[in-house]
Amino acid sequence: MNTSTGGHARISVLGIGNVLLGDDGFGPLAIETFRCNYECGSNVEILDLGTPGLDIAPYLYGADLAVIADAVHAGQKPGTLCIYSEADLLAQRAQLRLTGHHPAMQESLANLRLTGHAPSEVIIIGIVPESCEFGSGISPSVLNASSVAADHIARLLMERAVACWRRHTPTKPNFWWLGSNSSLCMNSQSPKAL
Amino acid sequence: MARVSIDPVTRIEGHLRIDVEVDGGAVQKAWASCTMWRGIETILRGRDPREGWVFAQRFCGVCTTVHAMASVRAVEDALQLEIPANAQYIRNLILIGHALHDHVVHFYHLSALDWVDITTIPKADPARAASIADGISIWPGNSHRSLGEVQNKVKGLLASGQLGIFSHGYWGHPAMHLSPEVNLILFAHYLQAIEFQRKSCQVVAILGGKTPHIQNLAVGGVMNAINLNSLATMNMDRLETLRSLFQELIPFVQQAYFVDACLLAASYPEWFRYGRGVANYLAVPDLPKDAKATQFDLPGGVIVDGNLASLRPIQNWRDEAIRGAVAEDLTHAWYVGAGAQQPWKGQTDPDYTDFEADGKYTWVKAPRYNGHPMQVGPLANVLVGYQSGHALTRKWTDDALQKVASLQGPKLRAEDLQSTMGRYLARAIRSAMLSDLALQHLQLLTTNILKGDDTTYNPPQFPQQQIAGLGLHEAPRGSLSHWVVIDKGAFSNYQAVVPTTWNASPRDQKGVPGPYESSLLANPVADPAKPLEVLRTVHSFDPCMACACHTLDASGREIAQVKVL
Repeated sequence: MNTSTGGHARISVLGIGNVLLGDDGFGPLAIETFRCNYECGSNVEILDLGTPGLDIAPYLYGADLAVIADAVHAGQKPGTLCIYSEADLLAQRAQLRLTGHHPAMQESLANLRLTGHAPSEVIIIGIVPESCEFGSGISPSVLNASSVAADHIARLLMERAVACWRRHTPTKPNFWWLGSNSSLCMNSQSPKAL
Repeated sequence: MARVSIDPVTRIEGHLRIDVEVDGGAVQKAWASCTMWRGIETILRGRDPREGWVFAQRFCGVCTTVHAMASVRAVEDALQLEIPANAQYIRNLILIGHALHDHVVHFYHLSALDWVDITTIPKADPARAASIADGISIWPGNSHRSLGEVQNKVKGLLASGQLGIFSHGYWGHPAMHLSPEVNLILFAHYLQAIEFQRKSCQVVAILGGKTPHIQNLAVGGVMNAINLNSLATMNMDRLETLRSLFQELIPFVQQAYFVDACLLAASYPEWFRYGRGVANYLAVPDLPKDAKATQFDLPGGVIVDGNLASLRPIQNWRDEAIRGAVAEDLTHAWYVGAGAQQPWKGQTDPDYTDFEADGKYTWVKAPRYNGHPMQVGPLANVLVGYQSGHALTRKWTDDALQKVASLQGPKLRAEDLQSTMGRYLARAIRSAMLSDLALQHLQLLTTNILKGDDTTYNPPQFPQQQIAGLGLHEAPRGSLSHWVVIDKGAFSNYQAVVPTTWNASPRDQKGVPGPYESSLLANPVADPAKPLEVLRTVHSFDPCMACACHTLDASGREIAQVKVL
């Protein structure tokens, strides 16, 4: 957690989802892709939160902008990217239902609002998952959407004059949960897609 | 006879379904069912034991650190690998930071609104509330002005008609009977707890490198570099930062949360009569005080039949009193097979049949200790610690009992804590005690470093032959154990027996129900359409089904559903 942002706006880019549950791991995948393709100032905190429940609150606390990548059940074709505002989230428009931690996000935002520390703006970038089966790997359609999502996160930041620029040479992503192509995984099976 | 089905019970994550039969205003029969499965253990088979913890901490998003800890301990146990004293203390501080955070969030954000009716807050007199709060605690967040501000926020919320997350509460329920002033005090602390939650994350972030998924663990110790002369490592500055963070956190635990739990207990004395359930208790030793883990600040042991004098200590992690005593019964769980299996030989092959009250009805296995169901959690931890003579447990338990009595509550002994309200109070006692232990273990770490010891890691060596290990951890929800078998340097079996598996256990082959199920018997239910009392008892265990039975609901079910059949 950053404690000082040098007077700049505080931005949180958060990935939500369980990496062990197939496409539910879209959030962590998308923000890792963003981190590798873009560089940001120190006022931008990029974090894979997993499935934090109410413990998302500390990462939303006092932010000027929170961009949250997650899986959503929006009744659309798998692999579809959807963008929602906080108002959409609260109104549950378009059958929007984020994965299991959706009610906790609402609850955390409501609690933060009561204390006066809610983020000024919340944007959710959701993917419609193909499969959230345990250990099923990332579906090709969802994998393809991750770099589109990363570009979109960058655009959202740039539109708000937040320092964010594309790297000349992207760094190598660490999708450690997907298989043997990372430093953490020494002998695991290869992922379904990649 | 009314059959009430509550699905899901947990306020945040689904997956726990409770079915009760209500007759004459009380529960006659109860079933706890976990409605989702994910076989988390299967993903660990074949993996390198050195990386198991990285996956294990993704079992659950809320209790990440506890599974990481149990996993490295299981592998170290299999290797009989001692870790450096510094590593023990750093792990202990993470354990404490996480537990304080978890208990506070449970009390205020996950369960207080079962007892606190926020719709009465506009009627409160803030001056009177401030004087009540001042009379029982020195907590500085109770001023007339700050309580008045909270009251105005609640008035605004109620006037807006947009209750949002608060629209699900059973407001005006006859079982809610705190005064408007006490409701105001508790809700003010509910809001202040958000600040606490944020700061407690910083403790874990400083030690673990990152939250919510810590990065600093390793089989063999921790990866925190210690060098008093380097700015980039664990140095005196970093230790001082930790000390001042704990010093900011402790007053909220001891002056707000602990006192509020006593106030709640004094105000709802009838809840010491309900929810006792399985009166066998299991706590495992944790917070080791030395490298070899021979002495612990959380004593382990087993108590049976609610009789504290029956305490049988679990001396350490090698003790056969735990290693040889645990089995999981599959009779009523949706797995192939029946009867009991020792976890090292445990199988997890799904066999779904639909909900059959007399057959298989849950994804949770039924863990048994020498054949008996056990209750785990802060109450077990406190009763075992109290009976073991652990000084801080005794001090804070006695303080709590005295405080409850002084607030016109019932006069209680430690053994009277075996109830729904007792579980709430025990969690607060444990938190107050862990707050003191935080500073003690920080001192142990500092002293050891100043002696010149900067080791944090002993590298593991894996033999070719098959080895088995047990990783124990006294987590916020109770005793956690990871049982691993390692063959040629890879996991060949991995079973996690988590706290909620003990507590949400179904019936076993003898038909003996688990703690949730039996704690609900004779629970009052004033209105079967609003089963608030059932929720109070289930929430008193701090249920979290994510790691007990696995997976997120991807099907887009309703957030909460109460059916009266």
